[in-house]
Amino acid sequence: MAVKTAIKVTNLTHTVTANTGDLTILKGINMEIKAGESVAIVGASGSGKSTLLGLLAGLDVNTSGEVVLYEHPFSSLDEEARALIRGQYVGFIFQSFHLLPSLQAVENVMLPAELKGDKNARDKAEALLEKVGLSHRLTHYPNQLSGGEQQRVAIARAFASSPKILFADEPTGNLDEGNGKIIIEQLFELNQSQGTTLVMVTHDNELAKKCDRQLMMSAGQLVEKV
Amino acid sequence: MHLALRLMLRDLRSGDILTLLLALIISVSTVTSISLFIDRLQLSFEQESANLLAADRLIRSDDVMPNNWQSKARKLSLHIAESTSFRTMIFAGDRLQLSQLSAVTDSYPLKGAYLVDDTLFGTGHPFTKPPEKGKIWLSSRLASLLAVSIGDEIDVGESKLTVAKYLVRDPGSSSSAFALSPRAVMNSADLAATQVVIPGSRVRYALLLAGKRSDLDNYEAWVTPQLNSGQRWQTPTQKGNRIGDTIAKAESFLLLTGTLAVILSGIAMALASARFVKRHLMQVAVLKTLGATPKTLINVFLIQFTVLFVIGALIGLAAGWIIQGLIASLLSDLMSTSLPAPSPSRLWLGIATGLISMLAFCVPLLQRLIKTSPMSVLHPKLKIEQNTLVIYSIGFIGMYGLMCLYTKGFLLPSIMTIAIFGIGLIVTLLGWMVFKLGRSLTSGATSGWQIGLASLYRRLVPNLFQLLVFTLIIMLGLILLGVKTSLVADWQNQLPADTPNHYLFNVQANQIDHINIATEQLGIIKSDWYPMVRGRIISANGQSIQTLYPEDKSEPEIYSRELNLTWAESLGKASQLVSGDLSAHGLSIEQRAAQETNLSLGDELTLNIGGNMITLPITSIRTVDWSSMQPNFFLILPKKALQDYPANFVSSLFINDANAQTFYKAMSQFPTVSILNVGDILKQVQTIIGQLSQAIELVLLCILIAGAIVLLASVRATLEERLEEGALLRVLGARKALVQQALFVEFGALGLFSGLIAAAGAEACLYGLQVFVFKSQAAWHPLLWGLGPLIGVCIISGIGLFASRTVLKVPPMHLLRDF
Repeated sequence: MAVKTAIKVTNLTHTVTANTGDLTILKGINMEIKAGESVAIVGASGSGKSTLLGLLAGLDVNTSGEVVLYEHPFSSLDEEARALIRGQYVGFIFQSFHLLPSLQAVENVMLPAELKGDKNARDKAEALLEKVGLSHRLTHYPNQLSGGEQQRVAIARAFASSPKILFADEPTGNLDEGNGKIIIEQLFELNQSQGTTLVMVTHDNELAKKCDRQLMMSAGQLVEKV
Repeated sequence: MHLALRLMLRDLRSGDILTLLLALIISVSTVTSISLFIDRLQLSFEQESANLLAADRLIRSDDVMPNNWQSKARKLSLHIAESTSFRTMIFAGDRLQLSQLSAVTDSYPLKGAYLVDDTLFGTGHPFTKPPEKGKIWLSSRLASLLAVSIGDEIDVGESKLTVAKYLVRDPGSSSSAFALSPRAVMNSADLAATQVVIPGSRVRYALLLAGKRSDLDNYEAWVTPQLNSGQRWQTPTQKGNRIGDTIAKAESFLLLTGTLAVILSGIAMALASARFVKRHLMQVAVLKTLGATPKTLINVFLIQFTVLFVIGALIGLAAGWIIQGLIASLLSDLMSTSLPAPSPSRLWLGIATGLISMLAFCVPLLQRLIKTSPMSVLHPKLKIEQNTLVIYSIGFIGMYGLMCLYTKGFLLPSIMTIAIFGIGLIVTLLGWMVFKLGRSLTSGATSGWQIGLASLYRRLVPNLFQLLVFTLIIMLGLILLGVKTSLVADWQNQLPADTPNHYLFNVQANQIDHINIATEQLGIIKSDWYPMVRGRIISANGQSIQTLYPEDKSEPEIYSRELNLTWAESLGKASQLVSGDLSAHGLSIEQRAAQETNLSLGDELTLNIGGNMITLPITSIRTVDWSSMQPNFFLILPKKALQDYPANFVSSLFINDANAQTFYKAMSQFPTVSILNVGDILKQVQTIIGQLSQAIELVLLCILIAGAIVLLASVRATLEERLEEGALLRVLGARKALVQQALFVEFGALGLFSGLIAAAGAEACLYGLQVFVFKSQAAWHPLLWGLGPLIGVCIISGIGLFASRTVLKVPPMHLLRDF
């Protein structure tokens, strides 16, 4: 059986307007990521990694070219439709966690399921927090948790909607080595157990090596790193 | 439970929803309490003034009024009474006297009371019923002239009536203060039998009405279109009399207060919604990455805002109701009568304020929130597409609309809008210049002073905005304080304690010395004597009045009746020369009368004085304060023109309760002299002024408290940024004292500057308000120039320092983690 394509990118270019004039961040990028594959996007700061990640997830609209996520071409979709696709297919983990400060850990994890109208959101969230080892921290607020714990809550939240594809932006970037390791382990464990496609932006070579493929961003262009 | 409500409940913990709710509650409760209180005061003053009118409303007519006017009033459940007034001869044996007689129905007066006495020249006691059938009440003067006393019979036309009481004052008679004939009152049931009112008689009819305001309003709407030029609809608070003017000024003040409360509410809502949006930008971006569609988010926020509005409006209305109740109860000790209950129909204004300020400020910001790019989770510094100018313009238009709705007009909102724009422009320009100067004076960051001053320029745009908000809030408070102070002073100056409360007229030249001796013995303060000669204008610039005004009912007052003419070498306290020369050989005319008749300097009037025609040019125009309780005249003639005619004299005097009885007795030896007691009217005016002064002081206090809360909120709104910077400085090794000093300097400078601009702005606004709205003399307010900067520095830097005090105790790491 042929492996399904999760993401297909054709001739992707992205230009932003800066004070000094137009700035092309991504130049004619072509790539394909198979379902279940784990891909690391590496590169120097400012090379356009995060921008690429955002475009792959449909967070923004590219200037030209096409991004197709599970057969949904983003260029023909409006923000409403892109949001629906994100809710259906995508999970996110961010470098600075982005937990909502007014919500408890369990409430943060419940959010994606709640947005889908899932009645069992709390049960699922509790189960996920147990998986990441935070069953004793359910009712804690983000500012009562350490950085590592916050990122584990974020991982639980990312998997709460059973995403087909997980985008991670420097998931260990704000963590010490010990916590970083725990996060990586849990991330890959969940990724494999749920058969999720993983696309990760990272500076961490060790982390990148754990992925099936590494793509190198350099001056707005993508090179396969062998 | 809906996702929106779940999110809202969770959001409550963060305090942002609470801030918005608090702003909404302040908006609704301030406007509600002020409008309810104004309503109650208006009702109360109307009631008090109604006592002077003898009714809530009154129709005066020169003809008999159609029967259906009464039946319509009855249909609307209004109480009615009627009076028929005319001049007639009253006979007692061989004596006769021309008298001003009123025949009234049993229900007269509907409001207030007669003042009657059983003793001749007594001071009187209240009586709420008119004379019974077959009885008549005579003024002491009339009884003296007719030489009758209680129990005697007199003849009115074909009827015999028994004198039952001496009439001191009848309600509703204030307008006829100068009626020269002595007064008498009888029951209208006896009128037909007297046969004195026949076709062609000069009679004034009055239909008096009392009842619920809504019924009165309905009746007014029904009857007004049917009134002809000889008929007039009168309300107790009509302009032109002292009480009407006083109440109108107080209403203007309260209206101004309400309008400023609306602006304050707008500022509170703008600040709170801006804070809400700022704190929710990242939340929206995260929710979007999690799959929340714009439609879902719009639903979530619309539901949240609706629930918030309902809760805020309900609490605000309840708080407003309670606050106005508190103001009223604080005031109840000072008021002679209790305030009428507030009408719940006035609550809509509070609801409208809440709704419009939410729509105007929250919805545009919400739109901006919904547009937040999900990409900002990856690039937190990503600029959100926004047009602050459009957002605040919508808010401002909303506020302007609300002010127009509130004041039912455009003048006050337009003055306020222009003033705010002007202030905005001045604040921006001056602020930019001063902050830049501060920056150039401080290079390097070695002291708190330098860091503080440098921060002003570094955060130029937020600081300019904050400066504008501070300035506006302080300015609003100063304006109200200034208006209140000058209004109260103005009122107190108007009616000093020794304002004349009695008039003496019909005094002959040979009686003057005797009366002077009597008043001097009693220590009574008296105005000068003014000679009075009766005369009538018969033509203007050679054209007869009949030619000028063929329809006699539309002619101006000075053409329509015989006038009291006088001569005077100088103007009294209550008059001011507008143009011309008083000493010239010509006429001096009162300004309003000149305007009504289109007469100006040089125009000629011909007067019929005792059968002689005198033609004189107008040589001066003067204003007259008719409410000064001094003898005042439409026309002043040269002494030469009048001195050969028999004149009687008039004067006004102040008589206190202690010497009233003695004075009346002393005056009983001059039975031809008329004494008019206006003390009750005066007392009522003084009571109302006292109550109004107290009322506006309490309302001012309320609004100042609301202003202080909004000021506090606006300081807190920007404190976070400053504390974040402070935390960074501490991480870099700065001492707490340095951070505190920098904060103090920054806030202090903002406060000082905004206080100064606010004082200047308030002074300018007060000038405009005094000249155009309150029609009073403009004056400087040195107090504001001291108070503005003082409030600015003390409150703003005080709050800043106090709020930062606890935060500065926390290790900087905690702060940085929270930001």
